[in-house]
Amino acid sequence: MSEDIITLLRENVIQGRKTAEDEGIDADMSGPGVLELTNLAIEKGIPPAVIVKDGLTAGMHVVGEKFSKKEFFIPDMLASAEAVGAAMEILRPLLEGSGAQSKGKFAIATVKGDIHDIGKNIVATLLKGSGYDVVDLGIDVPTEKIVDYVRTQKPQILGLSALLTTTMVVMAEVIGALKEAGLRDSVKVVIGGAAVSQDYANEIGADAYCADAFEAVSVLENLVRA
Amino acid sequence: MRIVEETGFKVYSPSALKHFKAFGAKVDEETCLVKVPREKAMELIGKAPSVVTLCGQDERQDLVLGGKSVYTGTGGTALYVYRHETRERRLATLEDLKRIARLVDHLENIHLFLLPTYPNDLSVEVVDVNRFFAGLDNTRKHVMGGLYSLEGALQVVRMAEMVAGSPDRLRERPLVSMITCIVSPLKIDKQYGEFAVELAERGIPVVCPAEPLCGATSPVTVSGNVLMQTVDSLLGVMLTQIVNPGTPVVMGSVATSTDLRNLRYLAGSVEMGLANAAGAQMAQFYKVPFYATGGMTDSKVLDVQAGYESAITNLLCALAGSNFIHDSAGLMEFALTVCDEKYVVDNEILGMVMRAVQGIEVDEESLAVDLINAVGPGGNFVSTRHTRRFMRREHYFPTLSDRDTREEWEAKGAKVTWERAAERAREILAAEHHSIAPVVRKRVLSEIPGIVDKGNS
Repeated sequence: MSEDIITLLRENVIQGRKTAEDEGIDADMSGPGVLELTNLAIEKGIPPAVIVKDGLTAGMHVVGEKFSKKEFFIPDMLASAEAVGAAMEILRPLLEGSGAQSKGKFAIATVKGDIHDIGKNIVATLLKGSGYDVVDLGIDVPTEKIVDYVRTQKPQILGLSALLTTTMVVMAEVIGALKEAGLRDSVKVVIGGAAVSQDYANEIGADAYCADAFEAVSVLENLVRA
Repeated sequence: MRIVEETGFKVYSPSALKHFKAFGAKVDEETCLVKVPREKAMELIGKAPSVVTLCGQDERQDLVLGGKSVYTGTGGTALYVYRHETRERRLATLEDLKRIARLVDHLENIHLFLLPTYPNDLSVEVVDVNRFFAGLDNTRKHVMGGLYSLEGALQVVRMAEMVAGSPDRLRERPLVSMITCIVSPLKIDKQYGEFAVELAERGIPVVCPAEPLCGATSPVTVSGNVLMQTVDSLLGVMLTQIVNPGTPVVMGSVATSTDLRNLRYLAGSVEMGLANAAGAQMAQFYKVPFYATGGMTDSKVLDVQAGYESAITNLLCALAGSNFIHDSAGLMEFALTVCDEKYVVDNEILGMVMRAVQGIEVDEESLAVDLINAVGPGGNFVSTRHTRRFMRREHYFPTLSDRDTREEWEAKGAKVTWERAAERAREILAAEHHSIAPVVRKRVLSEIPGIVDKGNS
């Protein structure tokens, strides 16, 4: 029985069905979605860590594979990540009770002068679905505000986003300001967005560059482990 | 109709002439000139079915020609094969025909296999059976083709009856159809006339295209060309309906322009697209299914000209509701030459063209007013269920075009279009198979003389 619930949960993560009302990719998919199945799994006494690992994370792994094969599109991936993120909200208190920890605190912002947020939101959704404690600082965020946030809230990782070549230079400014405030070593800085590249990350001294949201997940895994 | 009634047309086929006479047309036996009063002409055209279904061995490949339905297919008959890799052109052989059939079988936006090449390695008496056998045995799509002898044509009908299961079954599900041209202006030639009569008697679907060339075999104006083409093709329609009322017939156009600086036939001119699009509209007026011509190029190689000429003429024909666009893939160099890679490239063009034909769906759900209201100012539609519901069917996904970033494209070897097309062609051709079931295949090979089959398996 518990096997079946976990299998079904994994399948619904892949289909991106948050609730019973959601459509999956297969039109004939019906029955409980990720939220209902998560609650059912808790009721049946399946350990939260197992629900996360064998159900949610295993499902997201398949989504990632299908996405890189271009079989899944960004909206599919987001639907899955949203479903997992919502399930994590239910599971987090239980995980904390059992001693398991969040993967870490991740703050993300679109830098000053840039109002593009779709890419940033996708990364935030996917990382939330991957078990991070995600804080979205918004768009057009002044450098001082970012520095203040790092000082007071101490996120392990800071993500900076910019679509425009004219605003990507602000990323360098943020890193400079963190150095000046003596905070650069307290946080890993990762960058992403259409305008930037690995070369640019190296040039401005960022810790990593993420080409897309799935790459962000693996980049963060490595950074957190390091 | 004034042309049919007053000018008249020449019929050099004795059996066709006999049929026109028996029908009550004004026939001058000496000059072979025939005149049909307009009411009688309209009566004959009215007997032609408004819908003709051309079947594949695979039922999912059936094509329902009529109204404004649009299908695409290959065309010919080319004498040469061009290999882009070596930049060489050589005479086409029977093996080329088989290979192209296998290629087209897998190209999803090409719906019909019209025998595209002439096997120069065979003698003319066995060309018909070998061409049609190559088609039927290598693709499960419908096979259409031109003919080189009456005897050959009748053998092909026998062969198709075996593949279909029985003579009746072939009439129910015509796996093959045949082309009998009308010679513009206003002439039914001896051999094509005989073909049309014999095939109509047997109830085999017949296409009777005309090929008026602006300024040469039709008036130089596009409208005059369309008129010529319509009248000429209707002559064939009338003949088939006298012979066998209700027999499936398709009007056809291979109309195009000529370069009047040297009287050269052109296959990629925009006027060709216009004339064929208008021809489709004329056929819709007469309620007879229509075979158009588009998608070719005058270029000798796979270059930018090959792309734009093929795309423009295909799109014009398709948007006018041409029921079947022949020559829509693979042809270059004034239709003299075919090229494997061009089939793959044209398959992509046709995918886009068919998406354009599908048009824009407009209803409450597609307009999504409620969704726009829910997302609100400054929001986005990336993660909405509506996007997921429609994204796969609303947009055409290319199978060949490059949409990578420069970095991604470079990482994959910086391949240009024809190189990617060559790769897809190689992948498709790696697997060999016979479309005809082994038992039937054996029977065809033993009963139909002259078929060349390597290893006779």
